[in-house]
Amino acid sequence: MSYRKITNNEIAALQKQGCFSVNWESIFVKDGFLVDTIFNTQFAGEIKLGSFGGEVELEKGISKPAGIRNSYIENCEIGDNVYIANVNSLVNYNVADNVAIENVGTIVVNGETTFGNGYEIEVLNEGGGRDLPIFDKLSAQVAYLMVVYRHDKLFVDKLSELINSYVESKKSTKGTIGKNARILNTISLRNVAVGDYGVVTGASNLENGTIGSCKEAPTKIGEDVIAKDFIILSGSKVDSGAIITSSFIGQGVKIGKQYSTENCAFFANCEGFHGEACSVLAGPYTVTHHKSTLLIAGMFSFFNAGSGTNQSNHMYKLGPLHQGTVERGSKTGSFSYLLWPCKVGAYSVVMDKHGSNFDTSELPFSYITVEKGRSVITPAMNLFTVGTTRDVVKWPKRDRREDPEKLDLISFDFMNPFIVGKIFDGINLLNDLHAKASKKQDYINHKGISINRLMLRTSRRYYETAINVHIGKLIVNRLKQLSELSSLKEIQNILAPKEKSAGDKWVDILGLVSPGSSIKSLLDTIKTGETNSVAGIQSELNAIHESYETDAYSWGAAQIQKYLEIDVANISKDELVKIITNWKTNSLKMNTMILKDSEKEFDQNSKLGFGNDGDESVLEADFEAIRGTHESNSFVVGLKNESAEIESVFENLINQLGEIAD
Amino acid sequence: MELEKVKEKVKKAVAEVLKMDAAEIDDDANFIFDLGADSMQSMLLIAAFEDEFDIEMEVEKAQEVQSISGAVEFISGYL
Repeated sequence: MSYRKITNNEIAALQKQGCFSVNWESIFVKDGFLVDTIFNTQFAGEIKLGSFGGEVELEKGISKPAGIRNSYIENCEIGDNVYIANVNSLVNYNVADNVAIENVGTIVVNGETTFGNGYEIEVLNEGGGRDLPIFDKLSAQVAYLMVVYRHDKLFVDKLSELINSYVESKKSTKGTIGKNARILNTISLRNVAVGDYGVVTGASNLENGTIGSCKEAPTKIGEDVIAKDFIILSGSKVDSGAIITSSFIGQGVKIGKQYSTENCAFFANCEGFHGEACSVLAGPYTVTHHKSTLLIAGMFSFFNAGSGTNQSNHMYKLGPLHQGTVERGSKTGSFSYLLWPCKVGAYSVVMDKHGSNFDTSELPFSYITVEKGRSVITPAMNLFTVGTTRDVVKWPKRDRREDPEKLDLISFDFMNPFIVGKIFDGINLLNDLHAKASKKQDYINHKGISINRLMLRTSRRYYETAINVHIGKLIVNRLKQLSELSSLKEIQNILAPKEKSAGDKWVDILGLVSPGSSIKSLLDTIKTGETNSVAGIQSELNAIHESYETDAYSWGAAQIQKYLEIDVANISKDELVKIITNWKTNSLKMNTMILKDSEKEFDQNSKLGFGNDGDESVLEADFEAIRGTHESNSFVVGLKNESAEIESVFENLINQLGEIAD
Repeated sequence: MELEKVKEKVKKAVAEVLKMDAAEIDDDANFIFDLGADSMQSMLLIAAFEDEFDIEMEVEKAQEVQSISGAVEFISGYL
C-alpha cells in the first residue's frame, strides 16, 4: 500500500480541528485521505492513515461516519473506512479496513509479544509435567499428543520445537485488528490480536491473547469478560462475566455466565456456563452448564456434567498429582463426585459420590453407582437408553463451526472401532469374571469397582447384541452399494476390504478415532523430521481422518473373521443370511429396548407434579400439553420408522439372496 | 416346576434384588409402583430370574413383565 507524506495544508486543517502531533513528519496518508474526518486526536510515532470515506456499522441499525475523533494514536497503521472514537490509547497496532473502535480505554502492544501463542498451560495435571503450549492453530489432536505422550521424550521435544517455530512466526511488536472487527465499550486490550470480523463489546480487560475470527465464523467477546494469557478461536462466544485465565478456547465454543477457567483447553463446540474449570483438557462437546460444577484435572470429550459435579485430586502429600480420564460420551449425574485418579469408560453414566479409585475403561456403556458406600458398575446398561441414542444423533447436528478451516477432527461414528473394540474387551472380561465367580458371591471386584454377579452374564449378552448389530450394519451398508445382488462373486468383491486392517488397537485422540498404528506412524515421522511443521502435522491428521471409512471397514472385516470366523471376501450365502438375520433380530431387539426405556418418560412417575389444581384428567391433559404423547414423540416415531426400515431392508436382501446361486 | 414353586423362587429373587423380605411381597405386586424398583433394579431382576431358574430370557420381552404374577407366567414358559 503506498502512502505519501501529509501536506502542510492537511496539517493546518487537522490542527484547526483540534489535532496534535509531536512530529507531523512521521504521519503518512493514502491518496484519497479526507482531512475533515479527523478531530481532536493526538498522534505520536509513525502513523499511516487510510481513506475514511463511507460509514461503518457498529451494530445492526447503528452506523457512523468513518474517521477518527477524540483519541490518542501512536505507531499505528489505520486502514480504509475505519471509525475510531473516544479511544484513550491506541498504540502499536495495524488496524485493517472497515474496523470500528469506540469508547475504549487502552489498546496497546507493549514491546515484543506473541499474543498468547506459546503460553504454556498446565492441563490435566495441576502440578505440571503435561504443559501444553497454546497457539492459534492448535487442534484437539495435537493437544492430546502433546499432553498424553509424555513418555515419548523425543516426540515431545520435536513437537515442542515445531510449535516454538510457529510461535516465533507470531512474534511482533505490533498487533493486528482484522478487517471488519468491532471493539466497543471496552476497558483494555493489551497485547491482544483481533481477527477479521471479531467483535469485542463491553469487555473488561483482555491481556496477552489472540481472538481468532473470520467472516464465516465471527468471534464475540462480550460484557465484563476478563481474559489473560489466552487463545480464543473462530465462531466462539465468550461473554457475561467469564473469567479466562491461561486458557485455550477452540472453535465454536461458548463460555459465559460468569464461568471461570484456569489452565484449561476447550475444543470444538464445548460449552461452559456458571461453573469452574481448572487444568481440564476438554475435548469436543464437553458441556457444563450449572453452578457448583467443578471440572478439575481431567480429560473429557462428548461429556455432559450434571449440576454440582465434582472431582478431587487433593488426596496428595507431594502436590496435586492426580488426574482423571472420562472417555467419550459419558455424563455425570447431579452432585456426583469422582475421586481422582480414575478412568471412566466410554458412554457411561456416573451417579452418586465415589470414594474409591477405579478404572472402567474395559466396560463401556455402564451405569456407575454407589451401593452402601461401594462403587458399583452395571455394564452395558447404557446401550439401551434413550439418552445415549439421542446424544449420538444430536452431536453432529450441533457442530457450530463455520470456519472453512476446522482444526479439530471429529469422528461422529457411534459404533466406531474404538468403541466396538471396548465392547469386545467387555465381553472377554465378563466371560473371565463369570468363569471365576462363585454363586455365593454377590459382587465381583475388578479394578477398584464392584460388579453384581448377576449382571456378568446378562451384560455380556447386551454387549453381544450390540456387536451383532454392528457387524450386520457393516455388511448391510456395504451391500447397499450394489443396486442389486446379482451374484455371490459380486457380493464377495464388494465385501472384500480394499486395505489390510491396520491392526487391532484403535485410539480416540480427543475426538479423532484412528488406528493406533496410524498415530504411531505420525509420531515416527515427527521424530525423524519428515513431518516438520505444525501445518504438516495437521495435514497428516487430516489424512488419517479422511481414511477413517476405509480403515474402519477393514478393521470390521478383520473382527468378523476373528469373532465369527467368516472371511467376508469368501463369504457363503448361508453365512450372509445368518449375519443379516442376526442384524435384523438384534437391531429390532435393541430398538424395542430403547423404546421401552423411552416409555418411562411418559409413565405415571414422570407425570408427578403435573395438573396442579385438577383431577386425573387435568393431570393427563397438562402432561400432554407440555410433553406430548409417547406415540407422537419425534424420537419415538423416528425409532419406529427405523425398525420398519430394518424389516424392509432385511426382506429385500433375503429375497434377493434367494435368487442368486450358492 | 409347579407354579407355586416358581412363585416362591420369583419372590426370593425379587427380595434379594430389592433388599426386602419375601414374605412381604404380594402375588400381584408391581415391581415399580409397589416395590419401588428403579430401571437398574429392573435389569437386575431379569438377571436374577435367569440366575435363579438357570434360563436365558428374551430381554426385550422380559422387560414387559411388570409384576410377580406376570413374572411367574413368563418364566414358566421357559421351564
